[in-house]
Amino acid sequence: MTATSAPARSAPVTSRPGLSTARLLRLELRHNAMLWMMPVAVALFWVTAGRKIMATPPLWSLRAANMRLSAVLAFASPVAGAAAWMGLRESRRRTIDLVNITARPRPARLFATWAATTCWALVAYLACVGVVYGVTAQQATWGGPLWWPAVAAGAALPALTALGFAAGTLVPSRFTAPLVALAAFFVLALSTQLINGSQSYWQVSPIVAWPWELGPDPGVGTFYAYLPDLPIAQVMFLAGLTVAVLGALALPTGAGARSVRRSAVAVTAAGLLAAGTAVALAGTGRLNAHGMIAIPALHDAASDRPLRYTPVCGHTAIPVCLNPAYASYLPATEAALTPVLGQIAGLPGAPARISQAAATYRQEPGNSVGIGLTGPATSGSPPVFRMILPAQLPGPATTASEQASQVRSTIGPSIVASVTGDGPGASRAQHAVTTALLMDARVVPRHLLAPGTPVARNSAPGSALAGGRYVAPPPGSPVFAAAKRFAALPASVRRAWLTRHLAALRAGHIRLGQLP
Amino acid sequence: MTRGETRSVPAATARAAAPWMTGPRRAGARLVRLYATSRRIPAAVAAIAACALGLRLALIGHWDSYGALQLPLVFETAAATAITVTVASPFGVPERVTGRWLPYLRTAATLMLTAAAIGALAAAGTGAHLAGGTLDVLRNLAGVTGIGLLCAATINSGLAWIGPAAYLMPGAYALYTQWHHPALTTPWLWPARPPHDLGAAICAGLVFAAGVAVIAARGARDPVGEQA
Repeated sequence: MTATSAPARSAPVTSRPGLSTARLLRLELRHNAMLWMMPVAVALFWVTAGRKIMATPPLWSLRAANMRLSAVLAFASPVAGAAAWMGLRESRRRTIDLVNITARPRPARLFATWAATTCWALVAYLACVGVVYGVTAQQATWGGPLWWPAVAAGAALPALTALGFAAGTLVPSRFTAPLVALAAFFVLALSTQLINGSQSYWQVSPIVAWPWELGPDPGVGTFYAYLPDLPIAQVMFLAGLTVAVLGALALPTGAGARSVRRSAVAVTAAGLLAAGTAVALAGTGRLNAHGMIAIPALHDAASDRPLRYTPVCGHTAIPVCLNPAYASYLPATEAALTPVLGQIAGLPGAPARISQAAATYRQEPGNSVGIGLTGPATSGSPPVFRMILPAQLPGPATTASEQASQVRSTIGPSIVASVTGDGPGASRAQHAVTTALLMDARVVPRHLLAPGTPVARNSAPGSALAGGRYVAPPPGSPVFAAAKRFAALPASVRRAWLTRHLAALRAGHIRLGQLP
Repeated sequence: MTRGETRSVPAATARAAAPWMTGPRRAGARLVRLYATSRRIPAAVAAIAACALGLRLALIGHWDSYGALQLPLVFETAAATAITVTVASPFGVPERVTGRWLPYLRTAATLMLTAAAIGALAAAGTGAHLAGGTLDVLRNLAGVTGIGLLCAATINSGLAWIGPAAYLMPGAYALYTQWHHPALTTPWLWPARPPHDLGAAICAGLVFAAGVAVIAARGARDPVGEQA
């Protein structure tokens, strides 16, 4: 071998840009601050979200939405701060002049550092997603992983690293990294204050996983498919933002050849255009009837079809059937409704089945949302009573006994009232019979939820309970006395009387004094 | 030459090199000025002022319960981080072995900046609804600054912001759990405790005292070959 032959062997290696880029990326991966920040981000996620997410019911929609919000917030500061720290590296180590004379253009070097930072952030994030989804897969009784929320949260990480990295590169100061880390949290956590109603541009924020005024809603995505409209707009915004920021890094004079800078201008403009379009699209969103944000330009009408499922049914006198996603609630629901169902089973007009139904959502003035059933509570032949489980509604997580208590005190009276025809405008006899049956079933009929109010309810406009609020008759009143008297009858006598007179009672032809 | 003799050499050299100094007071003032400049203390003061201004402007807006509670904590953390950043030394070991006033300068700078930050943030909340009030600002800022100082002494002076930034998240989450139970009530998450809570004040005070003591005694851990 001669001395002149040695360079010839190394020439093919250096002429393969893909290989050298991979080598540069490998070097950056090995010397990246995000590698050491990963435990911090993961620990923050588990401290603030792990316990909370695992305590929620194993419903894919609920866990995916909670995971997304918590992951973005937990990763925001460490990821943006680490990226800024990496952006500061050349300035911090006073190597700017040294690396500027290397063969590789400045944008390529910067992108390699950014890519390595983003890779580690995504690895940490995917580990968290994997654990949450893995545990949920073992616990969930129906459905499958919702990928769009995970993708939208994942898309936030490249954007955060790009913003942090750009800040560190362009403003090299010891204050830059902490400022970026805190600003990322501040902007993400508190920007949602600006959301008002479903048609808000701020919904493009990556932490918005559901109609913001609604909060985490277990009922969304179980009866109807999860709508990807808002996540698509968010991913579009985040991708556009990432591209625009990275393009802007190649804009300064000295960043590279003129052709590189021209390309950077085009890339930056395209990124800004995509981000702007996404913001505009998010502003056209509206709350649809299934509790999700639909964006007309991105909406697929096929998503509005209800999901097919085989309900899981119990073995009470009147079967209680639930969506399989809520199968874990069946024993408690059955136990709560058994006394009530025993009172009405076999009576003329009694429902043949109690079936869980999807809630209907309606945007109301301001940030309030009305949730209820569409159409009458009882329909079909044989009649089926449709109900909304309290577990379907947004609100704080409750224990099994709290759930059972809510079912007994809200759905129980509604079922009895649907048989007796009780509700606003009903006769005092109907009211007394309803109260008597509830007394015998040991249900305290405090009220039946009224429709038309911006709160969750289990009745619908046009149903027997529409427009009113059922309140148990006050003790000492004639209605209460009649109810007490009727409830004191032997069950067989009461049932025989109801069998004969229920149709007349429902028609309002029976007076209070005619009750036995 | 003994070790005691070598110590006297720099002092004599300093006097010879700076004949315009007329006394120890002037030399002390110059030392303080040089220390402040090397630690970017003027920039930190500006950052604290910016935090106070930001808080004041933010308090003008309308916030829901979560936002109103979490808002001061964000600005308190930002001010604490600005204080933490000033402990990084651009000189490293040479300064440590020659500067016998360093522990006092570090302590004084940290305490003065903390006091300034507390005063600025409390003033920013005057006349507005500052959740928790001045006592909350005092406790939270001192505690979070302590976390930052401990991080500067143990991890890296440049990366000391990790501690306050990381603490912000559980702190804000603990505030959130006051509505969404189970609430986090440990006094180590002091932002979620009421302003008059003694346990939280003790925890924050301990962390701050530990941070100041460690920084005064050892200084920040400055990476070799990096510009602070």
